[in-house]
Amino acid sequence: MDFYLGLLQIIGVHTLLGLSAYVVLLTGQVSLAQAGFMAIGAYVAAMLTVLAKWALLPAMLAGGSVAAVVACLVGFPALRVRGLILVVATLAFGEAVRLFFFNFDYQIAMGDIRVGPLGGEGFRQIRYFPENGWTTFQVMVFIWLVVGTVMAALWWMDRSRAGAVLRAVGEDEVAAQSCGINLTAVKVLAMTAGGFIAGLAGAIYAHYTTHIEQGNFNIMVATFAIAYPILGGLSNVFGTLAAVVFIQGFLVEGLRFLGDWRNLLFGALIVLAMNLRPGGLLDARTTAALQRLRILARDPAAWRRVMGQLASGAAFSGAHAAVRRRIESWRGSPGA
Amino acid sequence: MIDLVQTLADGLLFGAIYALIGIGFTLVFGVMHKINMAYAAASLAGAYVGVVLLKLMALLPWLVIPLAALAGAALGLVVYYLCFRFIPLSAPLATLMSTVGMLLLIDEIVVHATAGMPVNYPTLVRGMVRMGELSLRADLIVCFLVAVVAMAALLHLLYRTRLGLATRAVSQQPVAAQLCGMSLGQVNAATFTISGALGGVAGALIGSAVGMLSPLIVAPLTVKGLIVTVIGGLGSIPGAIIAGLLVGAAENFFQFMRGVTERDIYVMLLLFVFLVFRPGGILGRDPAGT
Repeated sequence: MDFYLGLLQIIGVHTLLGLSAYVVLLTGQVSLAQAGFMAIGAYVAAMLTVLAKWALLPAMLAGGSVAAVVACLVGFPALRVRGLILVVATLAFGEAVRLFFFNFDYQIAMGDIRVGPLGGEGFRQIRYFPENGWTTFQVMVFIWLVVGTVMAALWWMDRSRAGAVLRAVGEDEVAAQSCGINLTAVKVLAMTAGGFIAGLAGAIYAHYTTHIEQGNFNIMVATFAIAYPILGGLSNVFGTLAAVVFIQGFLVEGLRFLGDWRNLLFGALIVLAMNLRPGGLLDARTTAALQRLRILARDPAAWRRVMGQLASGAAFSGAHAAVRRRIESWRGSPGA
Repeated sequence: MIDLVQTLADGLLFGAIYALIGIGFTLVFGVMHKINMAYAAASLAGAYVGVVLLKLMALLPWLVIPLAALAGAALGLVVYYLCFRFIPLSAPLATLMSTVGMLLLIDEIVVHATAGMPVNYPTLVRGMVRMGELSLRADLIVCFLVAVVAMAALLHLLYRTRLGLATRAVSQQPVAAQLCGMSLGQVNAATFTISGALGGVAGALIGSAVGMLSPLIVAPLTVKGLIVTVIGGLGSIPGAIIAGLLVGAAENFFQFMRGVTERDIYVMLLLFVFLVFRPGGILGRDPAGT
């Protein structure tokens, strides 16, 4: 049972991480610094609960806020450049944060042991949950409350004016600018929000693993962060959740019997998925189809009509045409 | 003082290898306006294949470089077909992600094939070359020279052959190039092959300079190569060469001043200095990037 609770905790933290990249991706930017922001949130929150004896929630908010401020500061110079340079800049920044914590010592004596982060050895004794008697189940519920809040906030934002602005910048910067949208402000805000969510993810991660070190926040984690929303699709927050459940639940845990071969499969599956579904699992077209399906479900007459079409093979020829279009697009544009 | 000069000289020599990797990233960017994240991994994999072939055929250690170049070229082509050919242009995130997936895949294949252990690499030459008070490692000098030869070959290819003309045409005006009868697919495939061959050479040089290859080199090499590309100016080959030497020298300088654990932090900061004061890179054409 604890195994499944643990898995749910992992999925929760990775969902937060994926959502932090999702916000930034909406504006068309790719940030590979999310692991760095996560590290900042983790170290700050853990130092506050362990060294300063704060309660968990304020410490988490503080960790998230520090990460958000850093993300905002990184955003300004990094966002003067566009697109691919930003990928490199954020990648370098994420690595710089990791190396900073590799060199970061701040230990104080507490009783007969010294606690606090110690360079390459990392930060041990983050015992907030066991000290306060939280069970694994309670921790899991707490994590998912946070995940649910963040998801609901993003869902609401997506449907509000703010979401439209973010997507406008992501779709076409020039058009967005000509509508009076301040590109830099929008991008920096998205980076800041992403930094805050990544910081929350780090703060939770630090407390349920009880030991963090710089290696926990390497390029792989940053890659996972952008992989979830890209694989899941950017239409809504559930794409990210679906990708996390698929990767962490199925690929990592479900295929554990494959041993090391699992990792080979992971890379190959990403390559395959991007070739087959360049827009992600829940791309715009699929989301629209799901929407239509929901409308259909409310309307018995339309439902019967579609069933009739299915029976006569019309829907099949539609699917056939879609496959043909895809193949035509391979022939037409050689990926350049 | 002499220590400092020595440090910088060593850094410059090793920087030639960074320059090769930077050129590989920048070539693909110039032609396709995409980043090939799998490039450093494929380069090192080419170097692995090179050394395996060398042992199988029991050839002279020197021949590891052409073998690695061949293997790198083949891998470059594989990366093109698996990660770029069938993904539409309108999905820039998809190619970014597919090359990241490729990076993981290549990395894991190497880890599997070598059981995660470092592989010994043949040394090309031994000994030191003394120049006044400086003493330079002969193998690093050889690496530098080989890298220079590879760059010269590349520049010849780009500026003196029909293929090079086509490549430059596609990178400047893809539509016009297509109207003149050039096949984008062929030029792209050729670019990936060429950059793969350069990467294979770079991988082999790293192997012989360090004495071994390990999967642990992939991540730092990817980051350094990308930093070189951005500092040099995306799409600029001379920029990548200058930036490669600069990053090599800066890396050794910071190691000399602050120690090996803090070295890379300052290299990253160097990138940010460039982003703030010269966002287009040393020789970038387009200051805003693309």
